[in-house]
Amino acid sequence: MMTRTAIIVCWVMAIGLALFLVVPLLVIAAASFSPTPVFDLPLTGASTRWYGRIARLDGFWPSLLLSLQIALFSTAISLVCGTLAAIAIARGKLPGAGIFATALVSPLMMPGLVLGIALLQGFRAVGFTAPWATLLVAHLVITLPYVARTMIAGLARFDFTLIEAARTLGCTYPGSVLRVMVPALAPSFLIAGIFSFLASFDNYPVSIFLADVRTKTLPIRMLQYIEEAPDPTLAALSTLILAGTVILLVVSDRVVGLHRMAGTSD
Amino acid sequence: MSESSPHLVVRGVSKRYGPTTVLDHIDLTIRRGELVTLLGPSGCGKTTLLRAIAGLVQPDTGKVELAGRDITNVPPHKRNVGVVFQSYALFPHLTVAGNVAFGLKVRGMARREIDIAVERALALVKLGHLAGRRISALSGGQQQRVALARAIAVEPDVLLFDEALSALDRKLREEMQVELRRLLQDVKATAIFVTHDQDEALTMSDRVAVMNKGRIEQLAEPRELYLRPASLFALNFVGLSTRIAGTVLAAGNGKVDVETRVGRLSALGNFQAGSPVIVAARPEQLRLGEQGEANSAAGRVRSVVFQGSRTLVEVDAGAGESLLAELSGRDGAIPRLHDEIRLSWPVAETFAFPMEAQA
Repeated sequence: MMTRTAIIVCWVMAIGLALFLVVPLLVIAAASFSPTPVFDLPLTGASTRWYGRIARLDGFWPSLLLSLQIALFSTAISLVCGTLAAIAIARGKLPGAGIFATALVSPLMMPGLVLGIALLQGFRAVGFTAPWATLLVAHLVITLPYVARTMIAGLARFDFTLIEAARTLGCTYPGSVLRVMVPALAPSFLIAGIFSFLASFDNYPVSIFLADVRTKTLPIRMLQYIEEAPDPTLAALSTLILAGTVILLVVSDRVVGLHRMAGTSD
Repeated sequence: MSESSPHLVVRGVSKRYGPTTVLDHIDLTIRRGELVTLLGPSGCGKTTLLRAIAGLVQPDTGKVELAGRDITNVPPHKRNVGVVFQSYALFPHLTVAGNVAFGLKVRGMARREIDIAVERALALVKLGHLAGRRISALSGGQQQRVALARAIAVEPDVLLFDEALSALDRKLREEMQVELRRLLQDVKATAIFVTHDQDEALTMSDRVAVMNKGRIEQLAEPRELYLRPASLFALNFVGLSTRIAGTVLAAGNGKVDVETRVGRLSALGNFQAGSPVIVAARPEQLRLGEQGEANSAAGRVRSVVFQGSRTLVEVDAGAGESLLAELSGRDGAIPRLHDEIRLSWPVAETFAFPMEAQA
């Protein structure tokens, strides 16, 4: 009897938590199709006019462009640097490899607010104030841990004998890395890239300290809209971002498998 | 090039890692078409020697020549060697055919020629039907064959096997040993195997190099290695034996008389009187009962292990010494546990080794 009760409790908890996580997303999606400026239940029809208004939001395109730029550049740089650092940790017989790895991943555990203030003060202290560049460097701090963590785990499973095999088969050392290591680690690169891109794209707490009037990332701009005019346009935008993310994750899952998406270990 | 001319020559190769000497002036000459095993315990340097031949380890001193070419300073990708690794090291992102084609593509071979060569290599290892499979969809034995096909496909001057069969289960391994030897002989490959498995070494090779502490202790044909071990280490590492400690009483004509705790024994060897030695004999040389001029010792049967065609009998000869006999039921009854028996064996099959060489 006890076990049956326990199973029921677990199921209720699981379903309840899933609903708790998913329902707000469904509400925002529903709200984006609301025919009236104020979202009311029950729905009295559907309209896509809010989607049309996204493009006309004040400063929307520059912010979207900025966020995409920062996310793409920081992800690209993190993929290269994070992978090299991960190789050093996984392969190089560094004395303090463990400590180094922890340090590299530590921004993940740091509150974004603290990170933002620290970076702002730090950049000011050294006279580094160009907004676009400071944002990029700050986002490197955000994205690097995701890449490093994923690549360290990926490399831990990588058999470096593959490189030796390629060399004895006629490949130069750099050639072996490109022809064998990079393709073998492709799933890890993909996962690292996606998490890194998403972490940068939706970051608010760090960006807010480094943005200025002309350099505002999309999340900052969105919060500004909601303060100024809380109509369903924002819900429509959120729904688009959500849909984009879901498509990205589903496609990646098709490519590399869900079990490798969920975590960084086996 | 004739069959007997040296094909691979290793001359005075040494390698140190910090204070550890891994290879200590190794000399090794292998003929074309010969199958040679480097046999030894872990840490004896056998894998390092193989990697030095492949170019994955740069020796501190010495030279390596392959097919008449000095390759000491040639990088691995220009050596034309084929390596089968213990982990197989198959490329997970490529199919079976893609793995086998890898070395040929890198060499810039034409597509049609590659297809033909891949097909031939896969047919050789009987995997033609799996050409399009992913590596992860193969069993361990199949992966082993793909690794072999990949190494053979590039037609290397020498094939190097680094514990290549050790990951297979026993039955499959024994089948592969026989099949691999036949296959390598068919394609007239020159090959070096690294293993710690004496059965594999005896089955696969034309000659076996027993390695210990960075040196080759003995390089001999399997039969000679077993019947005439050159050192106590070689005796211990290949096959079973009875070993009894003693002191040389008298010597002459390549024979010694040795005083031991189980009585006086005679053995082959050249030692000065008074030298401490180990007297040894293979278990199949020991027979029940007395024989004319032979060595003999008596004791109580400690264990009897039935092994099919033969029975392994261990006898407690007293004073901490024991005798090991492998008896076939044909020459008489097999003794029972706790029986008092006498065993004898020919002097000509009794070895003596210096005591201090004992590892």
